[in-house]
Amino acid sequence: MMKLWFMVAFIFCHCGILFAQDYSFEIPQKEAKEERLELGGYLDGKYSVFHSRQSSPFYQLQFFDQGNLSQYLTQYMLELYLNGDYQTKDIGFHLKTYSTYDNDSAADFHLLEGYGNFNLSLSSFVQAGKRMYNWGKGYAFNPVGYVNPFKDPENPELEQAGIMSLSFEAIKNFNSNALKTTALTVIVVPPAEKINNRYAEIKNTDIAGKIYSLLWNIDVDVMGYYSKVNPIRFGADFSTNIRENIEAHGEMSYSKDATKNIIINKKPATMVQDAYSYLLGFRYLNRWNTTIIAEYYHNGIGLDKAEYTEYIDFLQHSIDSANQSAIKQALGYSQGYFKGVTLMQDYLYLKINQPEPFNWLYFTPSVFVIYNLKDRSLLLATPLSYKPFTNSEFIFWPTFLIGSDGTEFGNKQFQQRLELRMQTYF
Amino acid sequence: MVRMKKAVIIVAIMAIAVSFSFAEDANQLLKTVDEKLMPESYAAYRRLINEEPNGKKKEYIFFTVKKGKDKVAMLYLSPASEKGRATLRLGDNMWLYIPNVGKPIRITSLQSVVGGVFNNADILRLDFSVEYNATILEQNQTGYVLNLKAKNKTVAYDKLKMWVDKKTLLVTKIECYSASDMLIKTLDFKEIKNFGNGVISPSIVETYSPLYKGYRSTMIYSEIKPRKFPDEVFTLNYIPKLGDLR
Repeated sequence: MMKLWFMVAFIFCHCGILFAQDYSFEIPQKEAKEERLELGGYLDGKYSVFHSRQSSPFYQLQFFDQGNLSQYLTQYMLELYLNGDYQTKDIGFHLKTYSTYDNDSAADFHLLEGYGNFNLSLSSFVQAGKRMYNWGKGYAFNPVGYVNPFKDPENPELEQAGIMSLSFEAIKNFNSNALKTTALTVIVVPPAEKINNRYAEIKNTDIAGKIYSLLWNIDVDVMGYYSKVNPIRFGADFSTNIRENIEAHGEMSYSKDATKNIIINKKPATMVQDAYSYLLGFRYLNRWNTTIIAEYYHNGIGLDKAEYTEYIDFLQHSIDSANQSAIKQALGYSQGYFKGVTLMQDYLYLKINQPEPFNWLYFTPSVFVIYNLKDRSLLLATPLSYKPFTNSEFIFWPTFLIGSDGTEFGNKQFQQRLELRMQTYF
Repeated sequence: MVRMKKAVIIVAIMAIAVSFSFAEDANQLLKTVDEKLMPESYAAYRRLINEEPNGKKKEYIFFTVKKGKDKVAMLYLSPASEKGRATLRLGDNMWLYIPNVGKPIRITSLQSVVGGVFNNADILRLDFSVEYNATILEQNQTGYVLNLKAKNKTVAYDKLKMWVDKKTLLVTKIECYSASDMLIKTLDFKEIKNFGNGVISPSIVETYSPLYKGYRSTMIYSEIKPRKFPDEVFTLNYIPKLGDLR
């Protein structure tokens, strides 16, 4: 009888062990408190199919000496983002790199960020090196992003390259119901133009400054950019939660003597003018967990409809001339002075994101539209993300560029693009 | 007749006074529940497990710091795809910092930065007494049932029903309701653990919801240490540096 009880107790204990949930876990890098070295990044394998718009002047410039190509082009590329951070209590060094591999003769390496930081205290810091800043509250556009990298509204969350700079930040908190926090950021940007590729004139150094305040539960930034070479700019932005599921934000920027690249009489020219740019947007979450982001953006130095038509006529004129040097020059202007997805003045951006609809696990479809209000052309994309395993993501990303002849999106070199991406994090 | 009127007024005043004193008792009790549940300022490590209807699990590990009643910040330590993300909450204000994006963006309390049943308000929870006014709904020999009503409309849940153990004054269960009295989710507080430094509190919080059938999320506390921080740590400029506090 005693044996039987022992058997029952033994089985019971083992069942308990078998069915007990294991709640213990290992805390990453917990032991290294004084100094910490962390490496990480991700690999992005990207296969793209492009449906060309062969009547587009951009297409004809890009492939002017390639003969008759098929309507469908493909691209296969590996992109490696590798990051390293070394941090002691007060001093740190941070590195972000980006490499692309197309084939053995077409591989590239870029330093996105490489800077050191020194914590003067828990509320003041100095950073020096190449660093990425992101000013402004807008999701797809940032009129006040004076120190930001070139932003792609098609993929605003993409890692970007920073600028060489020296920055200082200081934070102060207050025991007040109105003003809770204020923070000052000062950035010194060395001149971009170099003499003998090495030296620069000290008077061409730019200075950017931003004062952030949390005022009556509203984030408010006031910023400025002073330069003898680039336009002087002032601006402000705000962001606040109106309800438990609605956020509103806005930006306003004034540029003094901003330069605008235009075409006059089939020749490139630069126009200097004061300009206002602004953005107003909101983010809304509904009861089905759908997130909607909507933004209106006015670009004060964007092209108006007549200026855009002049620009397209200039490109077409160069192509029609069949003169190789004129075509190369037009391509150079197009890539140097008219780069970006949005060249004109007024846009609406709308993004709808729905995680796991109909209980389809790990699947997040979204749709976004960049709509040109002046010429009624649009870019429509429907990225579908699937994350079946931890640290991996598959993205199926079709993009449609829609518009009549002569419109911005109706003129792009591709009418459809399909991307298949596999991202692996480590 | 005049006497009658006087009597009615006196009874009404007494009723109001008694109800105020009960509310005051309930709010005082709620403050004690807050104090018992977590130290006022602390650093903690947490593991979050989101269990999906198909039995698959997704896990996160966070480093969390809190100061006072309404300042919380949290850094993602794993998995690699989320590492370096951080969230900050100051009262009704919440932000999410994504390293690739390079700036904190405002988020709302009803969003969920980690998916699963926990939303931002659960993960970056403030003291209950900051967001809710309490009244005692029931009490018996073993515990209290409190009715908590949100102080304003930016609070994630309009009403909470909270079960408190009378002996330990630790919360054991919470039901979260919308303004239309719909049950949004249930939180179970389990496995009371001595974390040292006088911190004795539930080490596991489990949540499930009739709105997310088959989903279950579990938060496990591994370490809770009382610790003081300057206010400047809980600011947008400091979010990218949260890891320096570990």
